[in-house]
Amino acid sequence: MSHLLSIIIAAPFVAALLLLPCRSTDRLLMRWISLLGSLVSLTGSLIVAWRYDIKAGGLQMAELYPLVPSLGIDIRLAVDGWGVSLLLLTGIIITTGVLASWTLKDREKEFFALLLILVAGVFGVFVCQDLFVFFLFYEIAVLPMYLLIAIWGSSNKVADAGPFRFIWKLFDIGGREYAAMKLTLMLLVGSAFILVAVIALYQAAGAHTFDMGVLGAFKYDASLQKWIFPLVWLGFGTLAGVFPFHTWSPDGHASAPTAVSMLHAGVLMKLGAFGVIRIGMMMLPEGAHAWVWAVGLIAAINVLYGALSAMAQKDLKYIIAYSSVSHMGVVMLGAATLTQGGWNGAVYQMFAHGIMTGLFFALVGLVYERAHTREVGKMGGFAQAMPIVAAFFTLGCLSSLGLPGTAGFVAEFLVFAGAWSGPHLWWALPAVAGAFITAIYVLRVTRDVFWGPGPSEQFHDLLDARKTELGALWILGTCIVLFGLWPRLLLDYIDPATTQNLAMATQTAQLTPTPATAVAAQAPPPVAPPAATAAVAHAAAGGGR
Amino acid sequence: MNFHDLQPMALGVLLAAAAALVLLTDLFTKPSTKPNLGWLTFGLLSAVLVASFTLDLRGEVASHVWRGGAWPVFLARLFLVAGLITVLGGMDHIARKWTYRQGEFYTVLLLCLTGMVLLPGARDLVLLIVCFELMGIPLYILTAFAKTDSGPKPVEAALKLFLIGAGSTALTVFGAALLAGLAGTTDMSVLVSSTLSPLQGIGTMLLLAGLAFKIGVAPFHMWVPDTYEGAPTPVVAFLSVAPKVGGFATLVMVLWQALPRLIHVWGPVTLVLCALTLTVGNLGAIAQRNIKRLLAYSGVGQVGYVLLGLLSGREFGVAMMLFYLAAYVVTNLGVFLVAHAVAEAGDGETISSFDGLGRRSPWLAMSLLLFLLSLAGIPFVAGFWAKFFVFVAAWRAGQSEMVLVGALFATVALFYYLGVARAAYVNVSAKTEKIVVSRALAGAIIACLLAVVGLGAWPSPVVEAAMAAARSVSGIGP
Repeated sequence: MSHLLSIIIAAPFVAALLLLPCRSTDRLLMRWISLLGSLVSLTGSLIVAWRYDIKAGGLQMAELYPLVPSLGIDIRLAVDGWGVSLLLLTGIIITTGVLASWTLKDREKEFFALLLILVAGVFGVFVCQDLFVFFLFYEIAVLPMYLLIAIWGSSNKVADAGPFRFIWKLFDIGGREYAAMKLTLMLLVGSAFILVAVIALYQAAGAHTFDMGVLGAFKYDASLQKWIFPLVWLGFGTLAGVFPFHTWSPDGHASAPTAVSMLHAGVLMKLGAFGVIRIGMMMLPEGAHAWVWAVGLIAAINVLYGALSAMAQKDLKYIIAYSSVSHMGVVMLGAATLTQGGWNGAVYQMFAHGIMTGLFFALVGLVYERAHTREVGKMGGFAQAMPIVAAFFTLGCLSSLGLPGTAGFVAEFLVFAGAWSGPHLWWALPAVAGAFITAIYVLRVTRDVFWGPGPSEQFHDLLDARKTELGALWILGTCIVLFGLWPRLLLDYIDPATTQNLAMATQTAQLTPTPATAVAAQAPPPVAPPAATAAVAHAAAGGGR
Repeated sequence: MNFHDLQPMALGVLLAAAAALVLLTDLFTKPSTKPNLGWLTFGLLSAVLVASFTLDLRGEVASHVWRGGAWPVFLARLFLVAGLITVLGGMDHIARKWTYRQGEFYTVLLLCLTGMVLLPGARDLVLLIVCFELMGIPLYILTAFAKTDSGPKPVEAALKLFLIGAGSTALTVFGAALLAGLAGTTDMSVLVSSTLSPLQGIGTMLLLAGLAFKIGVAPFHMWVPDTYEGAPTPVVAFLSVAPKVGGFATLVMVLWQALPRLIHVWGPVTLVLCALTLTVGNLGAIAQRNIKRLLAYSGVGQVGYVLLGLLSGREFGVAMMLFYLAAYVVTNLGVFLVAHAVAEAGDGETISSFDGLGRRSPWLAMSLLLFLLSLAGIPFVAGFWAKFFVFVAAWRAGQSEMVLVGALFATVALFYYLGVARAAYVNVSAKTEKIVVSRALAGAIIACLLAVVGLGAWPSPVVEAAMAAARSVSGIGP
């Protein structure tokens, strides 16, 4: 039994523990401990990717540690192709996140410790094969957020206006404490639903184990599935920013400090989507088939609503935050198609969006730190003062709008193609429209901030990215281009895993089709999709099958 | 009957002897050396705890009146741990404030523990009520211990506890009398073997109401916040955990052991009480500004979860309830002791007295945070497993709606717990000096912290012990 996966999870946690006895004057030491912790995880993830046998596929590198034998709770770790990609994503984001927070000045010890604990939870979720421990890690990944935002976040008071202005006064909207509390409570209400679903699945299977393999193989009663699936969807969906439960996301991401926004938008929201697919769709196939129309519909709303909201924002961080809501809609849309292409795209989008939004928040954090404002209207021509930042921001924008050659393109294209070959053709429309609106607002914001007429007096001596910040930007930027030009690199891992996972999500339903939903839900096996689409999808998949 | 026959109830006997010893030693100690009484008590309690592991405590005493085994031993250890931490944490406060009355304090505490330790083994209604009162009466004295040190509040607190306690005892005894009279015996194992009659229902209700007062189940909880606010904090720490464990042990024995055939009577009522308790406790806590009142309401909310466990079956449900209580004991003691440490430093007992604690005393703040998270039921601290286990038990018993209600109220609870955490970590305070925590108090807090984290990381041993205890009380195990 190799211990690679447990090392990946434990490294950040151990680093967090090592931070505790540090004196608050050992500033460099604390940063190095944090960086080292995240680097161990990143290296571990790379080794996992290296060692993972693509040909064999399936779950590999399994580890098993009993936790509560009397209830059948074990720490079961194993990784499949999806896990490999998401591990890599998390490793990259935490490493760059630590690099981007190098200049943090206030109570660094607590900050880095909480950040590392959080990321240990994230790693855990992606490789855990025990439903209960999955939930455990999920909670760990959610909770430190409260303190991270409430202590190190920034407030940007929103002017009260409109018919509900009294609420503004009541809740301190725009304040970091408001944002932190809103985020935590919304996500934990979500996890209350998840907990109920977890217990329901455990009890219904009656197998006295939380092993996801065993529970996933169990054929749950169709009526049970139909009411558990919404719980899972709403529970995890809240974290994935599913409309209308996305409202924590703009406030939270805008108020959070740089590394936390990076991690939260970059990785944590993926946790939600991953949960919906892993628990909801794969373990409750019939429930998924009964509800998939709603998932797709809401995801379509997400894409459009997120993009339109982003267009209306004047605050740089809110723009990026709403764009995350929109892009997570693409992930959910891909998931809802229940097709090979759609799921490949969903996972690829998780990765691509994670990297891209990480880059965005790192840059926005940089700009905010230098310029002390997030108002787009006040900025302009920053490219002269900070050319590197401008270049990377533009790169991020291009990936965001899905320019071929960037990771964003591969992901969005796969999802669109998946939607087209899926049961609801029209889902492709809002998705494409969303990409179009995205192009409008990201290009506009790039122009307004960086490329417009020269910087005003107060912004003449803005510093460009330096040292560690530069390192973070280069890592993220390289990933965007690398995975845009060479999608096979990742799709080789994702595609076989998708085939297997999709089989779980569709097979059961086909064995026992429910009369009402069979017609709508039966995912047509991609026997004869439109020839052109199939060819392009294959090309985009890089022959990964 | 010779003395050897008492071996199953040895822990109770030892504690009574310890109480006598402390009382006697007190007579011959000078005021300057009286603080050693605290350490003496601590040592005696530790010895009894060790004895609980080494002695053979199985078997019956006086033909069926008292029965040993895993159940009383599990609870006894819980009580002893609560007693040990209370003594350790309160020692310096007691020595400083009530120098001349230290002996009395520890004697009364030990007597209270004697009642508690004897309680779970009682198989006879009369003995049960005697033990229950032996547990209850010392608590009146302990809450009144501050007399008028700090205004009229301690007196109010004690009087409220006393009057409510006396009233509820009357209800309990009346209920017990009805049941015993109808059955013609006070032996709990044959209490309801005769034909069912409506009067038995009334007796059960009275018994339930009496006990509900003691453990602070809504709507019988109104004394809790006032008593907690007024009484001395170390006493409140003890009061908030140990008697509740005692109360629930009694409920298990009365409801599951003596009256299982009346489950159609007490089951629905308890379910309603449980829902009400969860609601009242968690919503009531939101508005509180005083930390002790907040913890009082939060305690009411926690009782709701324990009730949920109690309702969920005599074996698995009771086991999960026991685990919940174990987690609750260490967590709640810890949070009260942190509040005590802050109050001792002269910062008051409001939530804003925690302002800036994260900067002033990082370790104290971290302990507070972990205790609060444990109360809220967040993973990798004890409270999470507790809530989860209770939910699993409730689900198995078919209470799926209650699981959802409970899980949602856990989120509400998080709101007010985070309010305290926010004060400690986010709010800034003009004060910057470190809070001085005496060594004994720090030791007690660390003990709680280790227990909370330990149970969170490795709950298995306590789960197994709780299962064994539950099997024993339901007559399946030794």
